[in-house]
Amino acid sequence: MSERIISPVPENTPNLAKQMDVLQRLCEELQQGNFDLMADLTREALRQGIEPGRILNEALVAGMDIVGDKFRRDEIFLPEVLISAKAMQASMDVLRPSLVGAGVRMAGKIVLGTVKGDIHDIGKNLVGMLREGAGYEVINLGTDVSAEKFVQSVKANQPNLVGLSALLTTTMLGMKDIIHSFVEAGVRDKIKVVVGGAPVTEDFARNVEADGYAPDAARAVEKVRELIG
Amino acid sequence: MKPTAGGQYRPLTEEAVRKIHDSALCLLSELGVEVHSRAAFETFQEHGAACDPSKQLVKIPRSMVEDAVSSAPPEVVLCGREDKHDLYCGGTNVYLGTGGTVLNVIDLETNLKRPTLLQDVRDIARLCDALENIHFMVLPVYPNDLPADEVDINRFHSSVMNCSKHLMGGVYTLKGTQQVIRMAEEIAGSPAALRKRPFVSFITCVVSPLKIDALYGDILCHVARAGLPVAIPAEPLTGATAPVTIAGLLTGLHAETLSGVVLAQLVNPGTPVFYACVGTSTDLKTMGYLSGSVEMGLINAGAAAMAQHLGLPNYTTAGMSDSKIVDAQNGYEKAITSTLVALAGSNFIHDAAGLVEFATCASYKQYVIDDEIIGMVMRAARGIEVTDETIAIEAYRRAGHGGNFLADPHTVRWMRKEHYLPKLSDRQLRVNWEKSGRPCVEEKARAAARRILREHKPLGLPEWLNDRLIGMLPELRW
Repeated sequence: MSERIISPVPENTPNLAKQMDVLQRLCEELQQGNFDLMADLTREALRQGIEPGRILNEALVAGMDIVGDKFRRDEIFLPEVLISAKAMQASMDVLRPSLVGAGVRMAGKIVLGTVKGDIHDIGKNLVGMLREGAGYEVINLGTDVSAEKFVQSVKANQPNLVGLSALLTTTMLGMKDIIHSFVEAGVRDKIKVVVGGAPVTEDFARNVEADGYAPDAARAVEKVRELIG
Repeated sequence: MKPTAGGQYRPLTEEAVRKIHDSALCLLSELGVEVHSRAAFETFQEHGAACDPSKQLVKIPRSMVEDAVSSAPPEVVLCGREDKHDLYCGGTNVYLGTGGTVLNVIDLETNLKRPTLLQDVRDIARLCDALENIHFMVLPVYPNDLPADEVDINRFHSSVMNCSKHLMGGVYTLKGTQQVIRMAEEIAGSPAALRKRPFVSFITCVVSPLKIDALYGDILCHVARAGLPVAIPAEPLTGATAPVTIAGLLTGLHAETLSGVVLAQLVNPGTPVFYACVGTSTDLKTMGYLSGSVEMGLINAGAAAMAQHLGLPNYTTAGMSDSKIVDAQNGYEKAITSTLVALAGSNFIHDAAGLVEFATCASYKQYVIDDEIIGMVMRAARGIEVTDETIAIEAYRRAGHGGNFLADPHTVRWMRKEHYLPKLSDRQLRVNWEKSGRPCVEEKARAAARRILREHKPLGLPEWLNDRLIGMLPELRW
């Protein structure tokens, strides 16, 4: 981790250049994963009067896109993606109230959880972080989540998409029941459902009538963009 | 390049080392060495060894061996033409590279075995220049398209043009040796500059059991007089040119390579010499030479231990295979012998890249595969670093109970340097592996070799210098 200190922007810098400077730096520090600098830089951007939506899209989501591309090209490793996602979260913690205040809508809302009987969560959390990095609002229900709890959350939060995760071949079979509960509760046509986890395959996804499947976290983000834009 | 120290594996106890050493000194003083080189014989005679000219026999006393061991430098720096390739051969520092000399190669395009040409000398040198885990190049192939008396100088010249790593080579004629030294002095800038940064060195040999050949004895005397680094290996084979037991072989080897060390030190005290071993085992079902047996790993690890005991830099052999193709045998024979010898802390492990079929045939794709094996072997030799930073208590605090270390700065800081990152191994999920056309190591290695030969630009020589060499040495093909 670099120990850089945020230098103040010189007073005589023209306003537009100042704004570009702080957006650029947010974008770069995010790519470097310097999460401890993100909150101050985000406050600085807001203080300069940059619209929250621009900070989100031009600095944060743009930075995560670059990180995602590098990951797909094998130039960087997963921990580097995650540390950038962590930097994005640090910025979002400061930015979120302003986004709400300005009425900026996130790219979409996603409910995530590991299915009942299964307590594995690293993979699912990873998918969650990357989707947040892509500009989605993610509601993470944790592990061992029952069908009822999924249905409740869908009714309460009205997400665009639900992600089901499982690591065990035995618990994976529960995905079918959860998707069936969405049908019974009358919410299945309001959401897209994607499934993932080590034992899950494309065939299995088709079998349980999910809308999508991705073999890894990077492609899980692509899948969401494909399904809900 | 910071040296990597091996030496975690101790194949011989202190007591065993002493016993072998004492027994070898008995061989030298009682049985003696048969010396067919007149220059060598006279050197021993002048320095007071008990010599019998009628039998060409030289009995080397213990004190003469001890004097030679103390006048030989404990570390020899084999330089590259760029200092990032310098090799600090001594102690338990570990380097691995190519070996030779072979007459055939598996063609990169046809996959068929064919005789090697001067163009193969050039192409393989360029390949080795680009492959980062290959630390030096022992000239690997023989140009069958040249007359015998033009081979030495052209092998070295073509290699210098294509590879800036340290070049060590066998030489076949005295004239060739003289020409190579002259050319290297010209490239270095002066004779003194070459001695200061020797980017070429030589291999001569002692014949097992206990015999110094006429030509190789002469070449050894010549190189020693020139003050350039020289490895003096013997190649004892269990049950054939040495006793069938490893301890028996190591005793003969110790006597043989030390007879060469003594000769070099008598000719020119302080000559940089390598205690050297090419020993291996014999297939006693057929009397065939074996290159990939586990015993060959033990033999060469043992030789490294014997050299370390005397405080001499060592040259050994490992990473070969008896297999003719890229298969499981090829992989396990190379990996196990290289690992044993590297962990024993051998300084200059040759033949560890590019050879198949009892080390009688080179193979382009094999250089790329062996580069990967050497990368892993070097990681093993580097061992486990234990510091507060690597123990990472702070990272445990940040992860908390049941958390993870994936997005921790410590992970990002260490993941690349702590773990060897293979270039050929497949680590994809089956589904992705199938989608990408079920790639295999052999095909990936071929593709990498093709790419390097197409794209890699070696340091080479400036045109004026090369023109001068061509003017000086009319035999140069170019």
